[in-house]
Amino acid sequence: MLGMFKAMKTTVGHLLTKKVTVQYPEQREQLPERSRGLFRVVIDPAGDDPRCRACTLCETNCPVQVIRVNYTSKYELPVPNEARIRETRLTMQPKPDLAQLQPVIDHYRETGTGMMAVLQNTQGLYGYLPRLALEEIAVQTGSSLSQLYGVASFYNQFRLSPVGKHVITVCHGTACHVAGAPLITAAFSEELGVGVGETTKDRLFTLEAVSCVGACALAPVVRIGEDETHGRMTPDKARKLVAELRQREGVT
Amino acid sequence: MSAAVDRAGAIHEALKQALRPEGVVAHEGALEMRICAGTACHASGRVAVRETIKEELAARGLADKVAVVETGCHGFCEQGPIVVIQPKGIFYPHVRPQDVAAIIEASVQADEVVEKLLYRDPATGQPLAHEAEIPFYKEQRRLVLSLNGKVDPYSIDDYLTRDGYSALAKVLGEDDPDEVIDLVERSGLRGRGGAGFPTGTKWRFTRRTAGERKYIICNADEGDPGAFMDRSVLEGNPHVVMEGMIIAAFAIGAQEGYVYVRAEYPFAVERLRAALGQARERGLLGTDILGSGWDFDIQINEGAGAFVCGEETALIASIEGKRGMPRTRPPYPAVSGLWGAPTNINNVETYANVPWIVHNGAEAFAAMGIDDSRGTKIFSLTGKVANGGLVEVAMGATLRHIIFTIGGGMLPGRTFKAVQLGGPSGGCLPAEMLDIGIDYEALMASGAIVGSGGLVVVDDTNCMVDLARFFLQFTQDESCGKCVPCRLGTKRMLETLERITEGEGREGDIELLEELSQYISDGTLCALGGTAPNPVLTTLRYFRDEYEAHINEKRCPAGRCKALITYYIDPETCTGCTLCAKKCPTGVISGEKKQAHVIDVSGCIKCDTCRQVCKFGAVKVRSGIDQAAAVAATGA
Repeated sequence: MLGMFKAMKTTVGHLLTKKVTVQYPEQREQLPERSRGLFRVVIDPAGDDPRCRACTLCETNCPVQVIRVNYTSKYELPVPNEARIRETRLTMQPKPDLAQLQPVIDHYRETGTGMMAVLQNTQGLYGYLPRLALEEIAVQTGSSLSQLYGVASFYNQFRLSPVGKHVITVCHGTACHVAGAPLITAAFSEELGVGVGETTKDRLFTLEAVSCVGACALAPVVRIGEDETHGRMTPDKARKLVAELRQREGVT
Repeated sequence: MSAAVDRAGAIHEALKQALRPEGVVAHEGALEMRICAGTACHASGRVAVRETIKEELAARGLADKVAVVETGCHGFCEQGPIVVIQPKGIFYPHVRPQDVAAIIEASVQADEVVEKLLYRDPATGQPLAHEAEIPFYKEQRRLVLSLNGKVDPYSIDDYLTRDGYSALAKVLGEDDPDEVIDLVERSGLRGRGGAGFPTGTKWRFTRRTAGERKYIICNADEGDPGAFMDRSVLEGNPHVVMEGMIIAAFAIGAQEGYVYVRAEYPFAVERLRAALGQARERGLLGTDILGSGWDFDIQINEGAGAFVCGEETALIASIEGKRGMPRTRPPYPAVSGLWGAPTNINNVETYANVPWIVHNGAEAFAAMGIDDSRGTKIFSLTGKVANGGLVEVAMGATLRHIIFTIGGGMLPGRTFKAVQLGGPSGGCLPAEMLDIGIDYEALMASGAIVGSGGLVVVDDTNCMVDLARFFLQFTQDESCGKCVPCRLGTKRMLETLERITEGEGREGDIELLEELSQYISDGTLCALGGTAPNPVLTTLRYFRDEYEAHINEKRCPAGRCKALITYYIDPETCTGCTLCAKKCPTGVISGEKKQAHVIDVSGCIKCDTCRQVCKFGAVKVRSGIDQAAAVAATGA
């Protein structure tokens, strides 16, 4: 109870202090000419721990490649309730059959190249990248889970959560955009009750947007799963399509 | 001397051995029905057409007399599914399974045409029977696409009978890599991926860099929305790209090649994979190519949907299995590329030009085009144009020629407003600029770029501010996040544009956009960031009045921006057919049968369904916020 009041006090205190975020470009700070700034690791004022978690993102991102992250930290990083977090995360995903994954990993270990192909094949097996599968790949290939996660989350193709039975992909290429793709997505979104990138509760539909499927002459284009392509869509046709798919599944 | 002659002779002999006449599917001059199997025709239902054709032929006892060939993209995607009867060259667009019987009866069994199924010239309305007569094909200069629509992409023998791989045999026979580079340099071939760097110079850099291992990469990560040239070349004739790559590898001294192709192109991947297998089997790839003692192999690397991977250093990082982020150049990939080794990267179309140059000589290639832009360029023409599809023209052709002569002008009833070139890195050009020729430098000066070759035609119902917002949304989504000006700058620009399209534009927004554009193009590493503001800058340059209308008058002249328009039904034209009322998802249209209907704007979600279903054009869009409706909405 006391802790709660303390927390409230901190929150309210911060509400009253001056805001430090500068709303660029509306507001601008006066910087000295030729200012370059200096980078250093922030030490948490509460303890003496650095806030750096060695995620290596700064190293990957540095345009001139002058940052090297030393992975072996002398600080022991706090691990809050890891077991519980892990458990919660895993219960959200069905348990994948890891035996299927073995040939994919074996192939990688033979050739030593093509991590992208490993992830692509894993997604081919499960429809998404289950956390347990990623952990298995990390252990067997000697890469770290964070690196794999970095790659998996970078590319649009990879999904980290299961998808619905029918993946509805609306093309948002230029030709489709000028032909009204946003209206098509809005119609699907309304009909299914989910936004782009989301899956319906009954796990039947996932709505996705893609940059270009290269069938611009048929704009606007919608793809259902891998094989079905519908061209020259209208919002009305989109609604009919959902009804048709629902009927196919025996849901009304 | 004689050793050299022997070598060349042995290689040509090996090439002859590679051909298996029984594997030829598309015979020159034989009676054939060629079905386009490109992605667009596939989506329009070519599988059903193929099955019906096979059934019909079998039923008429013609199954072994008439061959059914599935070719790559014919380029006239608007008209799919396409069936062409050879050798007569009779062209049937929009073929439906129920039309097949009539077509076979008239054009295969007899020497006639089914007139009602023929293509009609949009200008004159005359039916045109032969492929060669159609302006869309007649006005093109097809060099890279010459075999598209003629060969079966799954048959290496089809390609071999049409002089395929003989350019490779010639190069291997002469055994002089420097001569190949000289040839390409003299031809004036420049990178077709967008930047237009001289190909020969790039090859020479890579050749000169010392290194035990060298790599060659084919960039088929065609991420530009609205572009599908590379896909069509790979789907239609994968061997021509491979032959170009093998020649380039020989010139540079590379041992291994990669094709980095988008995973969104399943047909291209599948056909390329089949082509690689066949080439290896026939000794055109792998160890001891055509008995020359030289080894080279190609692997396929599937991309995973990141636009930035079209940038060469990001592409290399992606092949290495990392996050696809660009890095500083120099060192250029020619010096330090894939796994630190010298690497040559070219676009699909660039490689596909190489065999032609070896066959016909540098001079023939340089004879096409103007100034420093030589040869041909493929464009994918889409948008509100009558004849969309793949267009290959000699450099120097004007935009007007491409859009109005080849493309047949605008869709009926539409007015030309602008053409968008080069995707998110390019710009929009208005009607006054249509006489500009396709030339790397001239287009750059106009604010647009040749780019990879997307041409999207925009009509007067498209809002230019909305189009700029669309491209900014795209670059914002696809920014890898490495450089702050690109990651945050595009975000801020996008927010500003969104504000403008939502009717909350402020004084000074235009200047703000211009200033941020400058910072972004100055402060980013790669071309994605550097050219990200181009769509905004060109629309500001040519269509500033539209921005001003949005900001100052709070209206969208094109009637696109949802927040700035109101839907209404014209009581004069409405016949009271009740269709719109039935289709309205929110049920805000009311009215009696045969009486004019009314939209209750307070509940209207502006989904456009009513306007699209109305057969009488009675549903209209008013630009500007309806004051009465706004009052009613706030009142309720």
